[in-house]
Amino acid sequence: MKDKLKECMDWLKTKGVEYADGRFVRCETESIQVTNGNVEGMARNLDVGVGIRVIANGAWGFAATAVLTPAELKKTANKALQVAKASAMTLREPVKLAEQEPFVDYYRTPCEKDPFEVPTDEKLDLLLDCCKELRKSKAIRKAEASMKFFKTNKLFISTEGAEIEQDIIESGAGFEVLAVKGKEVQKRSYPNSHGGDFATRGYEFIEEMNLMDHTDRVREEAIALLSAAPCPDTVTTVIITGSQMALQVHESNGHPTELDRVLGTEISLAGGSFLTVDKLGKLKYGSDIVNITADATIEGGLGSFGYDDEGVRAQRTPIIENGLFVGYLTSRETAPVIGKRSNGTMRADGWNRIPLIRMTNINLEPGEWKLDDLIADTKDGILLDINKSWSIDDKRLNFQFGVECAWEIKNGKRGRMFKNPVYTGITPEFWNSCDAICDRDHWRVWGVPNCGKGEPMQTAHVAHGTSPARFRNIKVGVSK
Amino acid sequence: MIGKEKLFAKLDKVLSRSKADETEIVFVGEESGLTRYANSAIHQNVYENNASVFFRSILGKKIGVASTNSLVASDLEKTLDDSCEIARNQPENPDFPGLPKPAKYKSLNTFNERTARFSPRDRAQVVKKIIKAADRKGFNLAGAFSTASSEIAVLNSKGVRAYQPVTAASINMIAMSDTSSGYAAGISRNVDDIDFAGLISLAVDKCERSQNPQPIEPGEYEVLLEPAAVASLLEWLNYIGFGAKSFMEKTSFLAGKTGKKITSNLITIYDNALDRKSMAFPFDMEGVPKKRVPFIDKGIARGAVYNTLWGKKAKIRSTGHALTPDQAAFGPLALNVVVAPGKTKRDKMIEKVKKGILITRFHYINGYIDTPNAVLTGMTRDGTFLIEDGEIRCGIKNLRFTDAMLRAFKSTVAISRETELVESWWSSVGCLKVPAIHLGSFKFRLPRPKKKSPPCSGLFLYGETIAL
Repeated sequence: MKDKLKECMDWLKTKGVEYADGRFVRCETESIQVTNGNVEGMARNLDVGVGIRVIANGAWGFAATAVLTPAELKKTANKALQVAKASAMTLREPVKLAEQEPFVDYYRTPCEKDPFEVPTDEKLDLLLDCCKELRKSKAIRKAEASMKFFKTNKLFISTEGAEIEQDIIESGAGFEVLAVKGKEVQKRSYPNSHGGDFATRGYEFIEEMNLMDHTDRVREEAIALLSAAPCPDTVTTVIITGSQMALQVHESNGHPTELDRVLGTEISLAGGSFLTVDKLGKLKYGSDIVNITADATIEGGLGSFGYDDEGVRAQRTPIIENGLFVGYLTSRETAPVIGKRSNGTMRADGWNRIPLIRMTNINLEPGEWKLDDLIADTKDGILLDINKSWSIDDKRLNFQFGVECAWEIKNGKRGRMFKNPVYTGITPEFWNSCDAICDRDHWRVWGVPNCGKGEPMQTAHVAHGTSPARFRNIKVGVSK
Repeated sequence: MIGKEKLFAKLDKVLSRSKADETEIVFVGEESGLTRYANSAIHQNVYENNASVFFRSILGKKIGVASTNSLVASDLEKTLDDSCEIARNQPENPDFPGLPKPAKYKSLNTFNERTARFSPRDRAQVVKKIIKAADRKGFNLAGAFSTASSEIAVLNSKGVRAYQPVTAASINMIAMSDTSSGYAAGISRNVDDIDFAGLISLAVDKCERSQNPQPIEPGEYEVLLEPAAVASLLEWLNYIGFGAKSFMEKTSFLAGKTGKKITSNLITIYDNALDRKSMAFPFDMEGVPKKRVPFIDKGIARGAVYNTLWGKKAKIRSTGHALTPDQAAFGPLALNVVVAPGKTKRDKMIEKVKKGILITRFHYINGYIDTPNAVLTGMTRDGTFLIEDGEIRCGIKNLRFTDAMLRAFKSTVAISRETELVESWWSSVGCLKVPAIHLGSFKFRLPRPKKKSPPCSGLFLYGETIAL
């Protein structure tokens, strides 16, 4: 395949393109879902193809094919060229890419146990056992447990001489229960909602989750929620646990710092960003204790890789330092706008999609508190746990999150449970109200495998390192 | 496009090799292009030629699914064998009813040659024209324009042979000034049926009229929801409530309410994939003919859509709403949701609004908050106006709503007699067909404490762009 792609690049050079790259991607997936003791879905998929990206006449073109014969690849290269020429019909500024060393390298994610080699029986037994334990009460209407695995081989070749091959393995699992009583329906999940937790690791990641150790607690909490009081409609202090902090970071730090979005190129679907370039180095995004980094180099993080899909090496870069907004997620095309080189965040959802700026591992760096001390230090407040719903405006300012479960904090002690909690806020006000972050002992990288962006829609695998954190004067309430 | 005869010949050959008790093949092939523009220039322009082939092998009541995008014979055969192997290694699903038998499908013309041949250059020419129209008012333009041709086939070892070629063209556009934006969109099987000039004129007009938006206090308001806004509410109601899975698991807002009045009697919602004036499609991904399915009929809760598995559980026949085999765990889904038109002329609807808000569309709705009560939250976007005494007074800053939809639909005042087709981001096969709706009550929430909290350190620079 390397030779075929090189031939395409050579051919495109003869046609006078300013730049071109080709990506071969072979992605194998396996998904298993067990519901109430039945295997509701078990599927394997193989997706293979080549995408070719071209700059010609100053404009971008992209074409992709699943047919990998030399003739079809050349046809696809020509199609990309024709698409670029069509794009040039509305050109205002020719595309200019930031300088980039053309790496020749190989990268692979760590994997002790290839999930595709683990016997199906072993995976199914674990999921079926989870469901069995979760259904030990009649109040449980549904118990659902799932696993998903990805094995991706990628090859990147460019007209600048880059030749990069990567092998990436991703694994994830989780379970959830629905408890029902009359018209009341409540849900609890482990280790996270929306499919669980994911990492660029092998089956050892699933084993370390110790799924069976958490079934009793999750089941009983779901049942307890059925008779819990509604979350009060009030303004109070909140402590948000790690997995919900991950989604908070995702929506209110990750997306708004994508420089393509800031420059308006995502307006048609997901909107823009309040973080216009005049705010770089000036906006007090959060309180002094808030430090956020984009780090694609964390071993095992779902947003980790060796090189992005433009051939830029994975990096760790600051986004917020001591509360000050200092950095964007960038690409080779957007970085020059702020006088920088790409910090390597361009990724595509497969061979048939163009790379876009995507989050890597966007992390809230740990603070100094122990969670028990933080709760003890809180006179009146609410502890919020595990995401249930999310919504944020097209500038990434006005957000509302719903969580599965909340607990009252009174005089430094965790008390009664609240159901259907939501909290709302305005992004910089919210982050400036952060007055405590838990330490590295509580810090964990949460994999988010369902980050949507772009047209056609692309789903990225990203992650967020977080620990529980406290925020003052937050509006919380019931869900209606 | 491979074509019916050639495709069946290829897939039949693979099917004949199957050693399973029952076998199904679903083929989805697509050749598509999408031109994306922002800052009044094309910035992304893509072409794709791809196909997915799904195999479902059944051994007794054990089910295995495997899929590939390679059409090479040996790859297809290997994937078939994989699906059989997966089936062998798992427990039986006692609810599995067996694969469907052959059926007759409604004859629908869903393919348009002109859409299929629409080139990147053709799309660029359209985009160039609409950019020029926005330029004339000094507005920036962003949006996306896609054209695609697909062929979908379902065949199984019981003799099902379903095939349908389809095309689709869709465009959305957002005209933007420094303080406002305006949205318009269109979709059709025939690209020539889209009124590009009319759409850009609408987007520009909304942008122009919503400049310098004024703040408005959150609270309960009358709203006039335009079709794009109605469609985005319905997308989520469909996702959380119109499928048999959520209906039978009691997480749907329709569950346990069949035959009961749940909204105003002006509200009728159903799925109809056989409407020739919509994005019609004759069968589902199990090869079962599509049926018209009512969800809410004149305010009365009716039911949900089914595939064969959930139909067996409910002891009724499939309504023809199965997704591809890899999405079996999600259950069935309605892909052609319709809100029945009312009797009011659309341009007369505003006259009955005393003090209310006109909403062009919503942004980032989420419906997982409280599904039994159909609570949705989201933001307004791209054309939000204050209406007073039946007239638009001014553009207003965007607002967050959080409300229970059945409650809101109980307050329905009027529904337009005109409907529009609106693209759904859940699926490229169908679309929504919806009117404008005037609701008497819709709740907007405050995102921050009413009393300003003690000042935090730091400088806030977002004052001009803040939504509320």
